[in-house]
Amino acid sequence: MTRALAIAGVELRRFLKDRSNIFFVFIFPLLLVVVIGAQFGGGGSTGRVAVAAEDSTLRTAVVEVLEDDGLTVTFADAEGVREQVARGRTDAGVFIDAAAATAYTAGEGVRLEVVPSSQSQSQATMQRIRTAAEAVRVEQAQVVVLTERGVPADDAQTALEAARESVAGPTLRVESVNEIQQEFSGLGQFDLGASSQLLLFVFLSSLAGSVTLIQARRQGVIARTLAAPVSTAQALGGQALGRFVIALFQGSYIMGATALLFGVDWGNIWLSLTVLTVFSTVAAGAAMLVGALMDNEGAASGVGIGAGLVLAALGGCMMPLEFFPDTMRTIANITPHAWAYEAFAEIQRQEGTLADILPQLGVLLGMALVLLALGTWALRRSLVRSM
Amino acid sequence: MSIQETQAPVLVVRDLVRRFGDLTAVDGVSFAIARGETFGLLGPNGAGKTTTISMVAGLIPADAGTVTVGGEQMSPRSVAPKRLIGLVPQDLAIYPELTARENLTFFGRLQGIGGAALKSRVEEVLSLIGLGERAKEATKNFSGGMKRRLNIGIGLLHQPELLILDEPTVGVDPQSRNSILESVEALSGEGMAVLYTTHYMEEAERLCDRIAIIDSGTVQAEGTRDELIRLTGGVDHIRLEGSGDTAAAATLLRELPAVQAVDADRHSLVLTVRDAPTAVAGIVNGATNAGMSLADVQISRPDLESVFLHLTGKALRD
Ligand SMILES: Nc1ncnc2c1ncn2[C@@H]1O[C@H](COP(=O)(O)OP(=O)(O)OP(=O)(O)O)[C@@H](O)[C@H]1O
Ligand SMILES: [Mg+2]
Repeated sequence: MTRALAIAGVELRRFLKDRSNIFFVFIFPLLLVVVIGAQFGGGGSTGRVAVAAEDSTLRTAVVEVLEDDGLTVTFADAEGVREQVARGRTDAGVFIDAAAATAYTAGEGVRLEVVPSSQSQSQATMQRIRTAAEAVRVEQAQVVVLTERGVPADDAQTALEAARESVAGPTLRVESVNEIQQEFSGLGQFDLGASSQLLLFVFLSSLAGSVTLIQARRQGVIARTLAAPVSTAQALGGQALGRFVIALFQGSYIMGATALLFGVDWGNIWLSLTVLTVFSTVAAGAAMLVGALMDNEGAASGVGIGAGLVLAALGGCMMPLEFFPDTMRTIANITPHAWAYEAFAEIQRQEGTLADILPQLGVLLGMALVLLALGTWALRRSLVRSM
Repeated sequence: MSIQETQAPVLVVRDLVRRFGDLTAVDGVSFAIARGETFGLLGPNGAGKTTTISMVAGLIPADAGTVTVGGEQMSPRSVAPKRLIGLVPQDLAIYPELTARENLTFFGRLQGIGGAALKSRVEEVLSLIGLGERAKEATKNFSGGMKRRLNIGIGLLHQPELLILDEPTVGVDPQSRNSILESVEALSGEGMAVLYTTHYMEEAERLCDRIAIIDSGTVQAEGTRDELIRLTGGVDHIRLEGSGDTAAAATLLRELPAVQAVDADRHSLVLTVRDAPTAVAGIVNGATNAGMSLADVQISRPDLESVFLHLTGKALRD
């Protein structure tokens, strides 16, 4: 065992000594988590609304209600808002023209023009804008009623606000009505990006790291290992352990760094670590296989990175699985990423227990065993072939 | 009656055979090495030296024959006899991204050494191979000679009973080469058995107590340097140059008992003799008495090169 550990230790050391890894292992994953977090929105699932309006009481009232609901409101001219909607930079655009503003002040009926974007969240946001508009309408109706009774408009407004605050009744929260919206409700801004990038990079780093296995074979150091009193099982086990340690290292780093830097909530940390451990074993098996089957480092590195990215994309690490059409969602299940993604979703969003993630863990464990067996067999064969 | 002390050899190789497809790279090789003995495998490129060594070290299986190290049978599966062996492979086998110290430490751990013992042994070897100053540097920055020395250091770190060196001086400058040869001599002096392969006959002559000449996978001859040289017939050549009556000198010298044959032309004589160093004085006298005035006398004795030529009809180096 100490010999296998020595081999694993050297593999990790070699991995860390590779200067190009400093960027790809330590910096790049965090950058992507930030980028994804930013896309996910400054308010994440809260929704974004762009408003095009001259300053008016109507605008103030609408924005206040929207912001109270937790939506992020930005302002631009009509042209700007249309562009933001078209580019999906916002979930919906709200246009308040001068006529509407005047009508509102006069207590007349008002029509707001609202344009949804093609963003996945926009339907949910639209619903919330409708609710907000309704709230504004009710409030305005109340003000109008009061002023018609002779109360000055300003006083009426103040009185209504005071009344509302004194009523400690149930506050009406606008719950999101959209299914997808609900799916992400337990997540902080960086949480989804952190777990998906963890999966992407654990696999990518492992596969790319298989190059060191090819080098070690070519440089004769593996053969030299076998000239020492080291059994083939220990040598193979050490290599497998080395790949596993690299994967686990990459994953733990991302977990720790995102928790510290971005406050990512990994849910029950023991469960998350269990998922990471099992997923790392899958990655280790895959890396063994690539490192044993391929003889050319350049080609292996290309295949490793290519496969790492394609599997990650298929497995929901680039676009959340929830947005996948049904067939793609089914195909995703061939990747270990999709299973680990689901396990993390259970843990991070639903406060899932071990029982909840057992199916995913089971599938991952199966994949790990198959890949490790194949990888060990292939490495053994390559060693024997060189004999 | 005297009891002869026979020490069990560290290594016994018997009828070793290894094929690669149609090629029989090693074809019935046998030899044995005792403690403190340096045994050389001398042969040209492709003779089967590395293949033999790979079977001795248990890196590849033999198709036939046996290897016994310290009394235990060696095969790729065996672990225990590998403890006794330190292998210095022909092709460098070190981790380029690790430092010299890290390389030594890693291979030391594989040998089962650990803790303070490993630490002090690593420092000892570092200074032995002259890399103490550069111990913290990644070995990919090392010169060829430094890498070779580290390659050797890894092989002897665990103080093996049998050190196997496969052409350790290839591509090394004369200074480093000399220091490598000196280390081998020192280790052998401490009682280590050494199996040394080379295609440099000077190295084999200098280091090896016994030498096997190997070609095309078979041992053509085995013995001490002198035993091997006797195989050529053991004759030396003396060449005399000068002026005077060479023909008369030739006639006179032919009568000397040490002289087997004489070739003469106008200015020189080439004599085939037994044991030239002893015979040379009488021959010079004889030639002078016969009226030759000598300008130059050359003795040439057979070396391993001539043995190889004699045995295989080929030159050792192409
Ligand atoms: N793995 C292999 N597959 C096929 N042929 C091989 C293999 N290893 C060695 N050979 C062949 O076996 C023969 C002996 O090779 P070997 O390496 O033992 O020679 P050597 O005496 O060490 O030569 P050198 O001085 O060049 O190192 C050569 O013809 C070589 O091509
Ligand atoms: Mg060789």
